[in-house]
Amino acid sequence: MNLIFFYLRKLFSIIKNEVLVLPSRVVAGIFFLALLLLPLFTEDPYLLRILTLTSIFAILAASWDLLSGFTGQMNFGHALFFGVGAYGAAMLNKYAGIPPWGTIPLGGLAAVMAGLIIGIPCLRLRGTYLALTTLAFPIILMGLVFAFPDFTGGELGISGIARLARSRVASYYIAVIVMLCLCTIMWKITDSNTGIIFHAIREDELAVRASGINTTRYKLLAFSLSGFFAGISGGLFAHFMRIAGPSTLEVSMSFQVVIWAIFGGIATIYGPIGAVFVLFPLMEILRFWQDYRILMFACIVLLILLYMPDGLFRWLRDKAEKECPRCKIRNVAMRHTCRICTAALD
Amino acid sequence: MTQSFLEIKGLSKSFGGLRAVNDVTFSMERNQVLGLIGPNGAGKTTLLRLMTGILKPDGGSVRFMGKEIVGRKTWDIVNMGIACTFQNMRPFRRLPIIANVMVSCLSPRAMKRGEWVKRLGAKAMDALEFSGISDMALEKASTLSQGDLKRLEVARAVATEPDLLLLDEPFGGLSPAETDLMAKSIRRLHKGGRFGRLHSEGPAMIIVEHKLQWLMKIVDRIIVLNFGNLIADGTPDEIVKNPFVIEAYLGKGGT
Repeated sequence: MNLIFFYLRKLFSIIKNEVLVLPSRVVAGIFFLALLLLPLFTEDPYLLRILTLTSIFAILAASWDLLSGFTGQMNFGHALFFGVGAYGAAMLNKYAGIPPWGTIPLGGLAAVMAGLIIGIPCLRLRGTYLALTTLAFPIILMGLVFAFPDFTGGELGISGIARLARSRVASYYIAVIVMLCLCTIMWKITDSNTGIIFHAIREDELAVRASGINTTRYKLLAFSLSGFFAGISGGLFAHFMRIAGPSTLEVSMSFQVVIWAIFGGIATIYGPIGAVFVLFPLMEILRFWQDYRILMFACIVLLILLYMPDGLFRWLRDKAEKECPRCKIRNVAMRHTCRICTAALD
Repeated sequence: MTQSFLEIKGLSKSFGGLRAVNDVTFSMERNQVLGLIGPNGAGKTTLLRLMTGILKPDGGSVRFMGKEIVGRKTWDIVNMGIACTFQNMRPFRRLPIIANVMVSCLSPRAMKRGEWVKRLGAKAMDALEFSGISDMALEKASTLSQGDLKRLEVARAVATEPDLLLLDEPFGGLSPAETDLMAKSIRRLHKGGRFGRLHSEGPAMIIVEHKLQWLMKIVDRIIVLNFGNLIADGTPDEIVKNPFVIEAYLGKGGT
């Protein structure tokens, strides 16, 4: 009994001293809880469907950020991983009869293979050249899909695959929990020693080599990790929509990911996730003005990027918090002294 | 036959029609500090880049502790124990200074050597301490001045705990007082020992430098390059009297 109280007190003190002191952490906590508790209050199928899709795309946007934002390997063909994951999961389900909990990770592994296949020839390229080369890969794969319609369903795609779960609420929970777990893992990766190397590769690859790091290995690692997460999101998408079609490989899909990530702030992980949760429902809200929907969307994105070039969420975070000039710990913007080292802020 | 520590034989490299390094041959011992001087464009930096595998030589061989290193990847060479600094500093500008050094500490060689150091940050901090910028460890690298960037380069190279350290103009952009300090720490590094949690084997060094007055105090031996050719090799006292060297620097009749 005492032990339980000890851990409860410890949890309470962590929440009080680490979470409640920073607005960004409070917001993240509320976000987690709200997503998990939402079905208790409403079971509106439309809302649940939108949020499920939003969660799935949040994984995709965060995985792009891991590869392009952190490691600096500009990938304009991220739909490749998404499409390979979706098609892989759909084919395994339809032709091999594997249930969704098996096909989705296997679809992710198929996307890892795709990541290695495009990663190895692209190792020497950087910047614009890499972006243009990667742009071509999903288009090539789409050509292959159309070339073998018996196997891939051609333009119609593979339909009639198993549901993610029996009920809507269960599908919602699967998507949301997978999203929260994978995004936490991605955030942890970027926060680890590997993350430092990823950052450094983006800054100056030659200097990383001269520090004795095998950059080839780390770049391929970034490609495969990003491919794995994007492939899982593709698999979830296929099983949720019950169809894997060529729309998952479209160029517009690749660019949507880039727009989400840049809108939220690249090299942050939380930025792209937040951006998807703002922009994807926004597209639905703008439906009331059907004809000008895309135009409105473009205007909003442009305005945000014009005034907050580092991304919306990084901007918000910098407004709400400031960094202690001495110990670099973040503090609420209202404080006058640092909460750790008591140095004067600004 | 005893193998020497570093043996360079017939190393050549051309850029188009320009022979930047032409058939350079020399060897050095484990306990030496070698100065590499020459007029601008003599091929000093190219020679160092050939040794670290950043550039591929057209011909010749570089043997380090009995192993051929021409054709190996840069990271392999660094992990064998040759660390280098860049003449034009290449820090990771948007990363904190400590993270710049942690990248070096994460290399397989540094990880293997520092097994007894539990925390990576502590080891990186000691490398910064050694080069004298530990007080700025948490600042972004873009806030550093030219001189401090030089020190960061040195800290990054030292953090891999090399056997051979290639310093490309370590005093460039430093004030005379800072140069004195840097010269002292290079001397101290060569003696070897421990700097906090960082262990120094007392690496052999090749130093490219233009500030000869300080260079002379540090090095045991100097080699002189001109137009890619090795024109002189000897102790500092011999070099200043060598007629070829005077001619290369001052032109004919310069004495």
